[in-house]
Amino acid sequence: MKMQITENLDVDVDARVWSCHHCGAALGAAEANYKESCLVAARDPEEIWQPHVREEVTFSYHRDWCRIVEFYCPGCGWLIEVEVLPPGHPITHDIELDLDGLREPQKGAH
Amino acid sequence: MTANPLDLEEHLQVTPITISPSTMIEWTRPEPLSALARRCIESLQPGDYEIYDEKLRNFLEEAREVFVRSGVTGMLRAGDLIVAVYTANGDLANASAGTYLHCVTAMLPVKFVMSKYYGNPTVGVQDGDIFYANEARYGGIHNPDQMAFMPVFHGGELIAWVAALTHNPETGAIEPGGMPVTARSRHDEGMKLTPIKIGENFRIRDDMLDMMENFTSRAARMQAIDVRARITGCDRLRRRISELAADRGNDFVRGLLAKLIVEAEQATRRRISRWKDGVYRSTAFMDTIGPTSCLVRGSLAATKHGSDITFDFTGTSPENDGPYNCFPHITAAHAAVTMYAFQFHDLPVSNGALAPFTWIVPEGTVFNADPDAAISSSPMINSLTVSVVQQVFARMMFSSEDRPQVTGNICCQPCSPLVAGPNQHGVPVAELDNALLNTDGHGARQDRDGVDAYGFAYGHATRAPDTEDSELEQQFLRLYFRLRADSGGVGTFRGGTGTEAALVLWNVPFAAWAVYATSSYVPITLGVFGGYPAASAPGISVRNTDLSQKFRRGDADIPRDTIELATQRAIQGEYHFEHTNRPTRAGIEGDVIVATTGGGGGYGDPLARDPELVVQDIRDEAISEWTARTLHGVVYDPATLLVDHDATKAERAKARKERLSRGKPWAEFQAEWSTLRPAEHALTYFGSWPEGVANHPLERT
Ligand SMILES: [Zn+2]
Repeated sequence: MKMQITENLDVDVDARVWSCHHCGAALGAAEANYKESCLVAARDPEEIWQPHVREEVTFSYHRDWCRIVEFYCPGCGWLIEVEVLPPGHPITHDIELDLDGLREPQKGAH
Repeated sequence: MTANPLDLEEHLQVTPITISPSTMIEWTRPEPLSALARRCIESLQPGDYEIYDEKLRNFLEEAREVFVRSGVTGMLRAGDLIVAVYTANGDLANASAGTYLHCVTAMLPVKFVMSKYYGNPTVGVQDGDIFYANEARYGGIHNPDQMAFMPVFHGGELIAWVAALTHNPETGAIEPGGMPVTARSRHDEGMKLTPIKIGENFRIRDDMLDMMENFTSRAARMQAIDVRARITGCDRLRRRISELAADRGNDFVRGLLAKLIVEAEQATRRRISRWKDGVYRSTAFMDTIGPTSCLVRGSLAATKHGSDITFDFTGTSPENDGPYNCFPHITAAHAAVTMYAFQFHDLPVSNGALAPFTWIVPEGTVFNADPDAAISSSPMINSLTVSVVQQVFARMMFSSEDRPQVTGNICCQPCSPLVAGPNQHGVPVAELDNALLNTDGHGARQDRDGVDAYGFAYGHATRAPDTEDSELEQQFLRLYFRLRADSGGVGTFRGGTGTEAALVLWNVPFAAWAVYATSSYVPITLGVFGGYPAASAPGISVRNTDLSQKFRRGDADIPRDTIELATQRAIQGEYHFEHTNRPTRAGIEGDVIVATTGGGGGYGDPLARDPELVVQDIRDEAISEWTARTLHGVVYDPATLLVDHDATKAERAKARKERLSRGKPWAEFQAEWSTLRPAEHALTYFGSWPEGVANHPLERT
């Protein structure tokens, strides 16, 4: 059974895999971080926010302090998720579903 | 009818805890229901709860109105306040709030008084007593937030407590304005009153008022008036509750208050149960601890199981020797501003809603600092909390009927300039610019853009005061105050835009000023599901300007926004570009202070945004043409702003292809990424890299 978990991600609770909500491309085991099955790019903030002055502050963010890490669906190039991280900082495993619980959705309801 | 004394004693019990800044959070959980409360709930007749819940809300609204009309500070007028009613042992039953922060914290001093002073012959709790507190160690947010609270007696029995709280922008700290950026320990932060009795027999004691005015002598008038305003608001509510008891009996009041808490807990649990079980994590970064620009991390792992949620903040940065620290109940309060406003927005504002939550806040982090730490900028460091809590809820709630409540982050970067000194009428005023503070952008949602300049994440119902009004009271006028282009996070749906203002010190020879803000180097207001964060906030000021000549000449080239101000430089003067968080400094008439609020976070892939909405954004000056081309891949005629849909389709297909060639498979990405490291000066207070374990001693005196 497929369930939509975020705007861009589905999970198949029987096959226990993530997939792209837009093109169906497989994005790895549901227990794992789907980000590891995406194509990943760490972008300079000036690619997202236009600098207007060359001073201590520029109207953009600072590449020595952070990168904009983008996770793309390898099937369709959809921007699945964006993470703001200092250069080299470990990636966040943001969703770890209780997969057994998902198969019985009423579990835990009082 | 009088309650059985033994029953009454049990009913007034507060769960014993170790009283310390790191453990006060335990009192945010509702007290166990007493036998008396249970009987009182059972004795309510059908319709009683529904009718009197509404009546109680009217009492709260009335008391709030009385409160606001009695006071003078801008924060009070902006609605940064709470008026609340508690059970006799201090659980929050319901509130009228402009900010939900105090729904968590204001009950703690009440519980403290019940636990420590109720039976204490040197203090005691009597009908007509007026208590007061502004010390975060005993349950506040930071010491500008002062609360008055009073017991409600009827027929000789203590049946409830009431409180009124608002922010006072002067505390007698080492800097004006209540949030001293250079504070290094609690001893730099001015007046901090543990819960004390400042009045008896319904009269305020003059000696207590004199003491407070003495502490806050930079702007004593605001203190003197607003203490009375708090008490006036409080007392109106006390009178109404006691009239209700006279009308329907003490048991009725006890039953009504207890039922509000029980109902809120049950409804909260029902709602949590419909979200998917699992662990949801978020990590966010700030770029300042006040006096120093540096990276600070907030980490949250939210474990949701059945109807319970555990918030674990392990991984959050170590505490520091600036004022960007807090205690666990303060972090919980900043989580609650999101929870009461979104997830549980339609439930009674009671701490029943907090019952399902367990909090893990490791000692030695910015969220659980040493009792002697400076914490006066606790709302600033909790930008981290507001950010990560919104992120985990977005993921937890998406696949439920609560999806409409999912947003990119509502702006989590409060921006408030502070100007202090005698105003044009010679009256000393130390006041924030509440117009900026209350015009942040809202987060984008699954089906719509965020609201532009909607308000303030920390104060869901606060509002920007009238700008003319504030220019009359404060030491500046505004060159411009407007929506800021490109400030909202880009996405399929755009985060609401924030605002920008240039304040000119005016009609005063000099004034002290500061700006409390964040996010010049690193975004804290994040997008969700492919939406981008909100834009950077530059710290710009111009000193020793020629503005007075320009005004006299009637020059037409006065800048109309910040980009124009910074790039055209029509104003002559010394231009300063720095981090937007700016400690107090002196200014003279004509100096220009630029401050920018944050937009909201974007929602979804920007390449999926309807091209017609993109050109509409250009028309509205919500985004620049650079953004339309670079991030949305929209092709249009710049003269007519008509979209070329075929060319746009092709452009977007090309952009997706570029992503596929730019993006690297995980192993290849990691191999390069893991060799990177932020600039060394950014890690001053981060702790070890990347673990964030404290690695140098703090100098607190
Ligand atoms: Zn795809």
